[in-house]
Amino acid sequence: MIQPLGIGFPYIAQLPPDLYRSSLMSFVEVTPETICRQRAADRDVAIEIVPDQLDQARQTCADLPIVVHGVELSIGSAQGWNPAYIDMLDTFQALWPFVWHSEHLGFQTIPGDNGTTLEVGVPLPVPPTKEAADLIAQRAAEICRRYKVPFLLENPAYYIADLPSDPEIGDDIGLISAIMRQSGCFLLLDLHNVHCNALNHGIDPFATIDRAPLDRVVEIHVAGGASRDGFWMDGHNGPVPGRVWDLLEYTLARAPNVAGVVFEMLDEFAVRLGVDAIANELQHAATIWNRCRRRAA
Amino acid sequence: MTLLDFQTALGRLVRAPDGSDPLRSLRLTDHERTRLDSLIRSAGYRFTVEVQRSWCVGRATSAGYLTLSILPTDLRTRLLDEWTNSGGGTSSFFAAEAETLLDFIAAHIPNPSHELTVCRLEQATLRANEGVATFIAPDPVELDRSPCLLGRGRHAGIANFHGEPHPVVSALLAHKPLPPVSSIAEVTVLFAPGLDHLCRPASAAEADLWQALTGLLELTELLRRGHHREDVAAMLQCGALEYANDPCAP
Repeated sequence: MIQPLGIGFPYIAQLPPDLYRSSLMSFVEVTPETICRQRAADRDVAIEIVPDQLDQARQTCADLPIVVHGVELSIGSAQGWNPAYIDMLDTFQALWPFVWHSEHLGFQTIPGDNGTTLEVGVPLPVPPTKEAADLIAQRAAEICRRYKVPFLLENPAYYIADLPSDPEIGDDIGLISAIMRQSGCFLLLDLHNVHCNALNHGIDPFATIDRAPLDRVVEIHVAGGASRDGFWMDGHNGPVPGRVWDLLEYTLARAPNVAGVVFEMLDEFAVRLGVDAIANELQHAATIWNRCRRRAA
Repeated sequence: MTLLDFQTALGRLVRAPDGSDPLRSLRLTDHERTRLDSLIRSAGYRFTVEVQRSWCVGRATSAGYLTLSILPTDLRTRLLDEWTNSGGGTSSFFAAEAETLLDFIAAHIPNPSHELTVCRLEQATLRANEGVATFIAPDPVELDRSPCLLGRGRHAGIANFHGEPHPVVSALLAHKPLPPVSSIAEVTVLFAPGLDHLCRPASAAEADLWQALTGLLELTELLRRGHHREDVAAMLQCGALEYANDPCAP
């Protein structure tokens, strides 16, 4: 069991550092790519940590523990994951150790011409097939061995409903369960993504949570979104909808190993939303967290 | 259908749905093609493409912000459409996106024009800024080694102003219309990570040297063509030029 950290918030360089020194959060979720640049290295591409930006992030986060939430691994790409991300994370861990780290269950690269790799530009869902489960589980297990801290995969929001599937896997929750079972990795349960999928595909979100491997949930994301063209978007662009707070309370009562809840926001929207509104969301999360912890005790 | 084939098909379809035969070279049965046809008619697929385009346009708009902001609306929209339709805007890394996008824009706007000048200025500024944190002036002694292969600095650039730079920059800062293009005076500004404020006017000799180095050249060849060693040394010192490979690599 991982020592609970409490309520966390992403590191966003544009926000006032005082926010991270308040009592509103007890850990910070860092996306290393936000303090990196990409550099051509021979025929490949390297992801380099920018020293100044790392220093600024460390000063802002001060003594708070950090967890890592990566975006560039592309663990579900059949042609191979992104080795530049792995190299960068090796360096990052040596410079700034993290309690756990996570990535998105999806793929964002495909083969290009002449052995090149093309970025799709948006993460796409992995079809719930045995081939995908086996491939990702093997990679997740390799990552667990490499970094020796818990590795979490995040359930995605998806808009395409009719992906190829195998009956023994079933759907996205079946895929997650198979990967967790085979690899020993953990789940970052994004409740806003559960909410998105429920609204967009007519699924009961509470039933989704009941089917998830709740004993593997180490971190929870809550976030806001927006409605567009008949879909609820995973926008990370505003306050958390009431239904997602309900899902948080429901999940915390059932998932015994949750160690942290993060209110997730994208940089540009966090600046627009402002510190006061962010503080309100963090306090709301803390209220639910504390209430559920007291009940569990 | 293998996972690789499915992902390749879906990725190509989402990335550039108007492109030529996204399913080329994939080993798909008729049933699998029918299934993909059905998938791309779904509302969820169309929305996924819409989200992808929105992300790519957002990245591109941010990466080429200054240049795009001075282009006429219809040209800006057309260039962004062409860029994202050809697979642009997919990199999450700002500098990588900016470098390729600004080259793309430069190839599609009039030459000479203030817009092209601003495009090159934005690209050169981003490059120099990207290199400043890690820049170490190379050892000039390496110039004496033979062969000594030289190239343009990775974090350097040049912008040619058609007229005095000041009125153009003032108009940009004030969000006012750009002055007419002057056919008389041309001022070349050099950008490099080792320069104070990252830029300064380039001498005619430096501008010529930059133009000569569209590819890698040996120092002896540059000297044979009439360029001067002291200009090469000065441009190396500020990162406008670089040693290209061993044994001269810094």
